[in-house]
Amino acid sequence: MGDPAAEPAIATPAIDVRDLAKSFRTGHLRAVYRLALKGLTFSVARGEIFGYLGPNGSGKTTTLKILVGLLFPDRGSATILGHPLASREWRYKAGYQPEHPYFYDYLTPAEYLDYAGRLFGMDKGARKRRSAELLRLVNLESAAGVPLRRFSKGMTQRVGLAQALINDPELVILDEPMSGLDPLGRRLVRQVIMDLKAAGKTVLFSTHILSDAESLCDRVAVLRGGELLKVGALDQILTLDVSHLEVLVSGLSDEAAQRIPTRNRLRVGERWTLEVDEERLGEVVRAIEAERGRVLAVHPIRQSLEEYFVKEMGGSAGGPGSWD
Amino acid sequence: MGLSRMAAVAANTFRESVRERVLYNLVFFAILMTLSGLLLSQLSIRQDEKIIKDIGLAAMELFGHLIAIFIGIGLVSKEIERRSLYPLMAKPLSREELFLGKFAGLAFTLLVNVGAMAAGLFATLLLTRGEADPALLKAVFGIYLSLLLVVAVAMLFSTVTSTALAAVGTVCLLLAGRFSDVVKNMKQVAPDVPDTLVDVLYYALPNFRNFDLKDKVAYGDFVPWSTLGWITAYNIAYITAVLALGVLCFRRKQFQ
Repeated sequence: MGDPAAEPAIATPAIDVRDLAKSFRTGHLRAVYRLALKGLTFSVARGEIFGYLGPNGSGKTTTLKILVGLLFPDRGSATILGHPLASREWRYKAGYQPEHPYFYDYLTPAEYLDYAGRLFGMDKGARKRRSAELLRLVNLESAAGVPLRRFSKGMTQRVGLAQALINDPELVILDEPMSGLDPLGRRLVRQVIMDLKAAGKTVLFSTHILSDAESLCDRVAVLRGGELLKVGALDQILTLDVSHLEVLVSGLSDEAAQRIPTRNRLRVGERWTLEVDEERLGEVVRAIEAERGRVLAVHPIRQSLEEYFVKEMGGSAGGPGSWD
Repeated sequence: MGLSRMAAVAANTFRESVRERVLYNLVFFAILMTLSGLLLSQLSIRQDEKIIKDIGLAAMELFGHLIAIFIGIGLVSKEIERRSLYPLMAKPLSREELFLGKFAGLAFTLLVNVGAMAAGLFATLLLTRGEADPALLKAVFGIYLSLLLVVAVAMLFSTVTSTALAAVGTVCLLLAGRFSDVVKNMKQVAPDVPDTLVDVLYYALPNFRNFDLKDKVAYGDFVPWSTLGWITAYNIAYITAVLALGVLCFRRKQFQ
């Protein structure tokens, strides 16, 4: 394992990316280069769940591949757990699940996990214990001895998650971990990510499934066409455009509801859902009371990530990507 | 360089390759061909032992090379194309360790395969003649050296090109190496070609004929230990160069 003396100060971010740029050659005869990343700068704090969001082709996988050493950047630098990318130190404390992982056909998940453990220098007993623990975690205990070639996409994805955790990492980098999973599998992965956070680990995961990011992430980075649109807490990004509140009311007649100054109203049984501008809430509540209605609840309606993306991606040039 | 990590890669490569069914088919065919020598030996008078040796060693060489090309390209190129390398690359395993570990695993796989085929040949000779010439092992050793070089070349090509092109490139280099004398004779056939170019080409190509001791052994000629030493040194030098080039290419490879 890594030399504890070489451990950098705990205050350093888990991941620190500075001006990262990458281009790919696309032409065969004539060299044509496509800019995949255009100088990204962001950091991931220790202990947080960081969502890396963007449509297909926006540069999510390229960034993660650079971080784990599958690609080399044209420009810029990054540190992981305080160590430069080229260092081996951080690799002892990190786990990575690639997008659409593929494993050796003829190995079983137990054998594969044992192999992964050997690369970390774990002894036989520790490998056996950890493999059993992880197979239980990803619900593959019963398939521990089945060759991986017989696995479905979802099962392979879960093996991918298990191998990323073999070394009990401080930092886990997951590329589209929910892709190809059924609802139960997605719930399982969500739970694993939340458990990792509860254990003080850092998780960076890319996704284009916005509901997953909304329910899991402390902060997100939004990527489009290789550029960072925004980095921050979900609240910071989404409340920028909070435009209205939903007020749930009972005891109003149709005529009385018409007299309330709202943006929109919808009758649901005996109740009304009123869409109200935030600054007019006091006025609306007084009007409801005057009409002898009763306010049951007030919900701030925040813009969803989906809406945010539709708004940000729609109509503006520069983003080659598109949502699935 | 972490020997334990390389050993882990080598062990996994061996395990993966021995589970390939095609490999068993090739070894089976090689042993079958050796046994077929039994039938052919009935057709000749007093030459049965030589025929069995000839056919047995030729089968070992042919199928051994097929196996070397198959696993050398299959297990490396396939890993790159199917992306099974990706999870490994994030682990504390350097690219050098991965590449050289793969080679070690494939070398051991070939050793087991050649061992199985040699055992088949020896068993055939013992059953028919009641004895087997231990000098045969010298020819088997030459074949094994050749296979090691082929697998190193196949791995090098696999890191820089696709599976199909790597296969074509390896076969072409093997054939060119088998007939490298033709290159040397170019000086007589095509006097316009600069001598330096012919010399560079001749010495750059691995001379696979150096490892071919089949005929000498089959005819009962003595193969001195110095010859074995010389071809071993040649093999080590060439493999070192090919692996160094392979490591260099693999270190620079980007997995897009």
